[in-house]
Amino acid sequence: MRHPVLLVTLLLVPAVLGAQTVQNATLRRAQTAYDNLDYRGALTLANTAQRERLNGFDRARAYELLALTYSAMDSILKAVAAFKEVILLEPERELDPNRTSPKVLSAFSVALTQVLVVRQLKVDSTDFVGGQGDVAIRYVVTQPARVVTRITGGAAPIKVDSSVANGQVNLRWPARLANGDPVPAGNYTVVVEATIGQNNFSASQPIRVTQGAVDTLPHLLSLPGYEYLPETEIPPKSWKPMGLALVYSGIAIAGTSALSSGDLGSASFREAGVIGGGLMAAGFVVMLRKPAPQPARGNILYNRLLREQLTRRNAEIAQDNIRRRQQVALRVVPMPRTGGGR
Amino acid sequence: MKTVIALVVFAPSMLAAQHGSVGLQVAFGDYREVSSDLHYRGSGGGVAGSFTYKKLGIEASVAGITYDPVAGSSATVSFKATQLDVRVRYYIAGPVSAEVGFVNRKVKPEFEAQSMGAVRAGARMSYPLGPGVNMGLRAGMLFGSKFSGGGTVSGVGALELGLNMAVDAMKGRLRLTGDYDFQRIARTTGSGPGKADVPIQQALGRVGLAVAF
Repeated sequence: MRHPVLLVTLLLVPAVLGAQTVQNATLRRAQTAYDNLDYRGALTLANTAQRERLNGFDRARAYELLALTYSAMDSILKAVAAFKEVILLEPERELDPNRTSPKVLSAFSVALTQVLVVRQLKVDSTDFVGGQGDVAIRYVVTQPARVVTRITGGAAPIKVDSSVANGQVNLRWPARLANGDPVPAGNYTVVVEATIGQNNFSASQPIRVTQGAVDTLPHLLSLPGYEYLPETEIPPKSWKPMGLALVYSGIAIAGTSALSSGDLGSASFREAGVIGGGLMAAGFVVMLRKPAPQPARGNILYNRLLREQLTRRNAEIAQDNIRRRQQVALRVVPMPRTGGGR
Repeated sequence: MKTVIALVVFAPSMLAAQHGSVGLQVAFGDYREVSSDLHYRGSGGGVAGSFTYKKLGIEASVAGITYDPVAGSSATVSFKATQLDVRVRYYIAGPVSAEVGFVNRKVKPEFEAQSMGAVRAGARMSYPLGPGVNMGLRAGMLFGSKFSGGGTVSGVGALELGLNMAVDAMKGRLRLTGDYDFQRIARTTGSGPGKADVPIQQALGRVGLAVAF
């Protein structure tokens, strides 16, 4: 049962150690001994390397090699102690669960619960209008601790949160000053400090805040989905002009006949006939012609309503634009970290 | 100076509200007097003008017609009638306008027919048949009639009836007009046993072409 675990561990160590190479010669020899399953030799050489002058990366690799070797030798407590040193040196250190033996992962997890670190501090890149959005900040605290989150870099530090936390913590920062104004553009640092008694740890993430103008809305020329209707409509052809000309001419002729004096003989209808005939001819032509466009009352009212709606909407947009011109668009972007926590 | 400014300021809007026309007419008529034996027909020419401002309209026309006795008439002498018609119209509501004015007809040679003058009052119904085509029907009474040969007319004895039409052409610059006027005047002369009915009746048609402005 031990051999498969050792084999897996052996295979995965180079990948776990990452891209940066080990500088110390003794540590490289310890690594070679570990690779050759010479655990005693690996322990001796790793401890020797610890006493030598090592850079941070080599020191973390030396403790990690010790932890892996103790795990392979079933010395779990020592493996946990070595992993604790690794975590304190590299709080962001993670082991790939798919490529690491469960025994090693278990020792690493136990080690995580025994040291106070703030890990995986992340600030989301975001854009929003000042006062109408916020910046997401999240991190992991490995032990229950009083955690204070601050933003530094401005005129005065801005406290985002102060609470007792353990595990994953999600915060939202509105990027506003105490007086409510948006934070000025510039470089800031999100600092998370965790404290248990005398034990404390802090992690930081630099961010850049830039300001811009809020986009204004264009005025509308028409309401989407609504179109103006023609305010005139051509009525259907009708007999009315001809009929009216006939009626008027008939009244004139009949009136002439009725009013004419009996003593003067039968009335002359020549004059009335000429004018009445001309009128009927005009009525006939009008009847055949395309009727003149008539105002479409319903469409006129509809268009008036549409214009009023458009005017009202544009007034609202103008008001909104006035408000938008007084607003500030904030962009928060996390920057590369220069160092780990302490 | 104030008058000039007022004219400059108000003239455009005043012009927009007013319309006018002046034109020539061909007139033809039928004239009867006393009995069917005195029957004349004639033709002639005339001029007419109109002016409209808001609800107010003024029309005036002068027609000169030479009346000749018709065949079979006992009349033997032709005469020339010059008739002046003036009408002032005021729009009331719908198609209805009120109309007042006067008519004056001079006859030469004198006493071949009756010269007359009277004040008219009546109503007109106007209706647009279509774009640029209007027609009207009018009816009224003549009051205070005076005749060159004397005589009187009872209160409702003088009536007139008219039909008119106007067709706009060349985008309203020209106007083809047609007018028909019929007058029946129940004139009487003398009094007592010597009282005699001497009615006058005229049908007058006018066709014209006017320039509108």
